[in-house]
Amino acid sequence: MPRVTLVEGINLALARALADDPDVVLIGEDIGVNGGVFRATLGLQQRFGKMRVQDTPLAEGLIGGMAVGMASQGLKVVAEIQFMGFLYPALDQIANHMARLRNRTRGRLTCPEVIRMPHGGGIHAPEHHSESLEVLLCHHAGLRVVCPSSPARAYGLLLAAIRDPDPVMFLEPTRLYRLAKQDVLDDGQALALDTAEVLREGDDVTLVTWGAMVHDTLRAAEQLMQEKISCEVIDLSSLSPIDHDTILESVAHTGRLVIVHEAARNAGLGAEIAATVAEKGLYDLLAPIARVTGYDTVMPYFAQERAYIPSVARIIDAVRHTLQDQS
Amino acid sequence: MKRFNLPDLGEGLQEAEIVRWHVAVGDTVAVDQPMVAMETAKAVVEVPAPFAGVVTVLHGKPGDTIATGAPLVDFQGDEAPTAKPLPAASAKAVAEAVSQGGVVGQMPETDEVLTTPSITARSSRGRVRAVPAARELARRMNVDLESITGSGANGPVTLDDVLGAAQSGGGGSRLGLATSAMRPAAHLSETGELEVLRSLRRAMAQSMTLARDNVMECTVFDDADIEGWQQGGDYTVRLLRAIGTGCRAEPGLNAWFDGTTQGRRLFHHIQVGIAVDTPDGLLVPVIRDVGNRDAAQLRAEVNRLKAGARDRTLPPSDLRDFTFMLSNFGVMAGRYATPVVVPPAVAILGAGRISRDVVAVDGRIEAHRRIPLSLTFDHRCVTGGEAVRFLGAVIEDLQKPA
Amino acid sequence: MKTIAQFAIGYEQLLDADGRVCGELPPFAGDADQMRRMYEMMVLCRLFDTKAINLQRTGRLGTYAPCTGHEATHVAVGAVMRPEDVLCPVYREYGTQIWRGVTLTEILTYWAGDERGCQFSGPREDFPWCVPIGSQTPHAAGVAMAFKVRGQARCAVAYIGDGGTSQGAFHEAINLAGAQQLPVVFVIVNNGWAISVPASEQTAAETFAQKGLGNGVPGVQVDGNDVIGVRKVMQEALDKARSGGGPTVVEAVTSRLSDHTTADDASRYRPAAELEAAWQREPLLRTRRFLEQQGWWNEEREAALRKDCAAQIDAAVQAYQARTAPGVDAMFDHLFARLPANLQEQRDIARQYGAGEAH
Repeated sequence: MPRVTLVEGINLALARALADDPDVVLIGEDIGVNGGVFRATLGLQQRFGKMRVQDTPLAEGLIGGMAVGMASQGLKVVAEIQFMGFLYPALDQIANHMARLRNRTRGRLTCPEVIRMPHGGGIHAPEHHSESLEVLLCHHAGLRVVCPSSPARAYGLLLAAIRDPDPVMFLEPTRLYRLAKQDVLDDGQALALDTAEVLREGDDVTLVTWGAMVHDTLRAAEQLMQEKISCEVIDLSSLSPIDHDTILESVAHTGRLVIVHEAARNAGLGAEIAATVAEKGLYDLLAPIARVTGYDTVMPYFAQERAYIPSVARIIDAVRHTLQDQS
Repeated sequence: MKRFNLPDLGEGLQEAEIVRWHVAVGDTVAVDQPMVAMETAKAVVEVPAPFAGVVTVLHGKPGDTIATGAPLVDFQGDEAPTAKPLPAASAKAVAEAVSQGGVVGQMPETDEVLTTPSITARSSRGRVRAVPAARELARRMNVDLESITGSGANGPVTLDDVLGAAQSGGGGSRLGLATSAMRPAAHLSETGELEVLRSLRRAMAQSMTLARDNVMECTVFDDADIEGWQQGGDYTVRLLRAIGTGCRAEPGLNAWFDGTTQGRRLFHHIQVGIAVDTPDGLLVPVIRDVGNRDAAQLRAEVNRLKAGARDRTLPPSDLRDFTFMLSNFGVMAGRYATPVVVPPAVAILGAGRISRDVVAVDGRIEAHRRIPLSLTFDHRCVTGGEAVRFLGAVIEDLQKPA
Repeated sequence: MKTIAQFAIGYEQLLDADGRVCGELPPFAGDADQMRRMYEMMVLCRLFDTKAINLQRTGRLGTYAPCTGHEATHVAVGAVMRPEDVLCPVYREYGTQIWRGVTLTEILTYWAGDERGCQFSGPREDFPWCVPIGSQTPHAAGVAMAFKVRGQARCAVAYIGDGGTSQGAFHEAINLAGAQQLPVVFVIVNNGWAISVPASEQTAAETFAQKGLGNGVPGVQVDGNDVIGVRKVMQEALDKARSGGGPTVVEAVTSRLSDHTTADDASRYRPAAELEAAWQREPLLRTRRFLEQQGWWNEEREAALRKDCAAQIDAAVQAYQARTAPGVDAMFDHLFARLPANLQEQRDIARQYGAGEAH
């Protein structure tokens, strides 16, 4: 069983999908000869040819639009946007067409496709390369939004996304690409979409997070254990639709909720989770819901990104504060 | 000796192999002069000299692997402060992966291996569900929430549930004393119905609780000898005037204190709240600007407020924001007391029953009319000195014939 | 069927790869001072570029986009733009920017992930570096529109790469410029590569200059390594724009003699022979040869120039490294003209936690 990094897990899943299904086609900038700027598509054009793994001209709007056209013909398109910060030209196609083609044609035409993109900061990259824009996508009906936090989840969820008959936005946490390895069985098994995963059981507080912040949240939980504070950590995984049941069940057990996300606070996905728990789990709460998020500023240039991205210290302080409410 | 450690080459690995040295020990190298070719993954990268100097040690030979951050080349010279690397380039784990891929930035890598966690299904905790306000009330009333069955829609414990539990003693409380005090002894055949406090009495209970929890009360007792008063002295008005004199002497008693911010606010004008006893309970109407009103004005205002208090026709503006409080409690009985300071005010003057006391005057025994005075002050922000000087000024003013 | 429209694209080259004159030289080419000044700036760019790469390789700079190979185009454009004109660059055209007053320290500061690099003490109205590819071209069209609205004799210049011309924004900008006859020049720097994608895969068009024609905007191609040719063509385009003659697309054909950025490894996709051939055409050598043939340059001058450039670069690096860290307040400064109350609260939290921790 190969022990691989997250980006290698993605490579395995793409190779598996290309091998198993002749309708799978990859499109994107620099994904062919170069194997992708993060090597996610390493070796794939060499194996499967230029028609199955295509280097597109430099145009995100084009990528969004041609993907709709190709998918409408039944090709399973897996498109890459090189960085989430460059998503915007493609949003017109994603929002106005990809998300609603099935709906507008009453199921006659559909868009079975995946758009992959690196998500979040922390790799000391130039501006625009560190964005966390999941809310823009989550707000559109007709799209699924998925964000894995480990090599095994990346492998299984990407396969699920490719096989899903509807468009899936696949956000890959950039600073987790090579951070850790995991044994991943390349057996073509997909994981279930639409579900959150409990990564660590605990009794005192529920921590909900996703993407690269999963790593930091687990570290915070480890440190809090030394203070005898037992944290339950949930990887949201599926940002749209949200698996509220898993969260509510956990809050019923712990009574306290801290949501952690790198994206900015205002109208961030944490607000959606907090509202739902306030609606459906209010009587289980022993303390107000807390959110630890990026500030409502522009994602700063990398000299300041460590000050922006929620730190382990901020997560720990939020948990301690939540536990101060006695009930 | 100046040491140059292998920097992050932007090649994604935490180490690199020496391919070929371009310099030898003893060479003088210039800044940016290529020193060594290092191989990482699939690309060979030239590492230039970060500063000028004479090479003294080469930390490896072709084929050797050097870890990022480990010594690479030593130069002759003092330990010069090298340019501080940017936060982006910590020698430890952050490396830019080039042949590994990364058209921008630096990608962190560790040796960490993740395992899929095994999460067991767990049994329900069975903790009671409650409306948040009900939780808070239960806490304040020392009622055990766990023993209450909720009556709300979908079963959460509500405010009424908590009040009801408090009334009937609940299912047992954390402080047995509190509950048993709630529940009348079984042998009493007739008990009054528990009257949950409403309105004024409820407000008093709440504000007294607040006072007890926060104020550091200290009371000073003394007497004012009013034997020398002229005929027709208006008792209440004289007390108000004396309070004005006292506040001018010691402004620290005409103030508000905020325990949270540890700040106090002194006031220019004196607003005296007078405790008024009504059938419904205690009311405290406020006389505004006591220091600038004459006796007639004060009397008129006192009359207005007392009438309005009894009729319960006073607007809220007459019942708020006093800076000093007066409790003229001695109408029936009681000489001295420890009256309660109501925050955010910091003092209250209690006047007890006027009586004819035996006093010693120049060695003779005489009977003089005296007013017993009890001044409680908040010792968090009023000193004993301020308090007694205030009281002294009050007494001096009260002891004037008019 | 009769033909109702045709197109022709002209190609300009006045200095060939060996430094020989191959056309009628314009007046400025006879001005020793002007020619020397351009050469000196090209050398400064080349040396600065090398230094910046070294800084990155020794852990003292973040990812950097080198300009080696493009110096002639960048410097020639800078030399003919007027101070009151406005530049909308991509992220590689240091020669133009340095000519217009952007400092070496500012360039380094930007690539160090510090927004103060974009504050531009020199050309106050020029746009900062633009990372979302192609999005700078509508900016230039807009700036030119402002000039037209106000009746000012000023021009906008937008740079774009061969890859960038595939972006819709590029065509939208040119189309407006043509329809409104805006005073803007689009300079396509065709260096043959968009990271790993060669120009042959980017488009079927024979030239990039003709990409304006579809939108009614004339284009011209020039040898981008020929500083005289580029300057002549740009001067004509700017004169035309300034006098109300409308926009032009200028395609400067040059070569990228480095990786796309310091984080790229071009050996993965670029044939070594192609790179070697490109070095044969590089701009500094031919310019120096021309100057020497005119009797305006020699070895002593070259040595003095290099020494002077090294000193300038050293001073800039010192200033760069002496910067104090921006501090967390920088995240909240210049977010709005006036910071809203809720953000003051967040700034307090940010101050409490300081610079953060490494991830």
